[in-house]
Amino acid sequence: MRAMRSGLLAAALLGALTACGNLDAREDGAAGAASRFEASLRATDTVRSCAALAPGTRDELEQTAELPCARALPEAGLPPAEKVRTVDVYGRQARVVTDKDTLFLSAFPGGWKITAAGCTARPEKPYQCLIKGG
Amino acid sequence: MTRDRSFLRDNSLTLVFGAGFLLTLAGQAIAGHADFNNQLTAEELHPVSFGGYLLSADFAVDVTENWQSEYLQFFLYIFGTVWLLQRGSPESKQLHKAGPESDAEQKVGQYAKPDSPRWAAAQGARQAWYARSLGTLMCTLFLLSWLAQSVTGVAAYNEQHLRELQAPISWFDYLGAADFWSRTLQNWQSELLAVGSMAIFSVYLRQRGSPESKPVGASHEATGVEG
Repeated sequence: MRAMRSGLLAAALLGALTACGNLDAREDGAAGAASRFEASLRATDTVRSCAALAPGTRDELEQTAELPCARALPEAGLPPAEKVRTVDVYGRQARVVTDKDTLFLSAFPGGWKITAAGCTARPEKPYQCLIKGG
Repeated sequence: MTRDRSFLRDNSLTLVFGAGFLLTLAGQAIAGHADFNNQLTAEELHPVSFGGYLLSADFAVDVTENWQSEYLQFFLYIFGTVWLLQRGSPESKQLHKAGPESDAEQKVGQYAKPDSPRWAAAQGARQAWYARSLGTLMCTLFLLSWLAQSVTGVAAYNEQHLRELQAPISWFDYLGAADFWSRTLQNWQSELLAVGSMAIFSVYLRQRGSPESKPVGASHEATGVEG
């Protein structure tokens, strides 16, 4: 019984430490994905930009614009940013605030993907975003 | 009866409820995982693995919000029944015994028996602590569970907020948030209802053989009598 209690305690501690240890890595991952997305926007590399979008966001962009992503994305008017200012990660979701934009990301098997970009804060309401999922 | 069978019989209350706890916790995890992934899928986000869900704030807050209220219930019940009475209820002590009672009634200090716990026979702080150890443990577990609810709650709340393209909030802001108090109070009200209804129902109703009930033939007026 004592061994079982110790095992459960060790598992709980390991889980907590793993969760804390992973936070920095997840923040770095989200910041890196946002930086690469912004770099692709600056380079007008629409193939890379579109590949960085979450599937739902890409679908919504294409359906709304009635154009393929590579043609619709430049028309969205996203402001290409240079620097990441703050990163917030909770679970599998993240918000990255850059010098010119705010992006929302979600974790996918291939890494972090952009779920919304070109976002402007509104008091007591969700951000208003130039592109987002449906 | 073998020694193993005797152990199982002598501890069946703890063992059965402990096993039931683990089974229902597993069931909660399975149902919660499916529900969480239904939400993610509806939002065209990638579902989380079962292991990932077990480590998630969403699962942790659902577990801890119930734990804290259960431990609060037992803390209040243990502490409150020192002073609060219910005429006719087996959940209440006898009406003339309200309060911490005398050392002789509680078998502490010089009144301790040979088989009393050592700290019951001790004097001073050790006896004072031991005399309140059950309530202290329940109160501590309540506070720790409630703290855990607040920490995991703000993480789950912020994760959902980010999915909805809303800004995350701090732990201090979360302590004043409707989500925190809705989760907290919905559990507290149900625990208080259960305790209050048990105290009064047991005045008039019986469960033969249960120590939580009076003997079937006991008077409705009989207080502090267990079956």
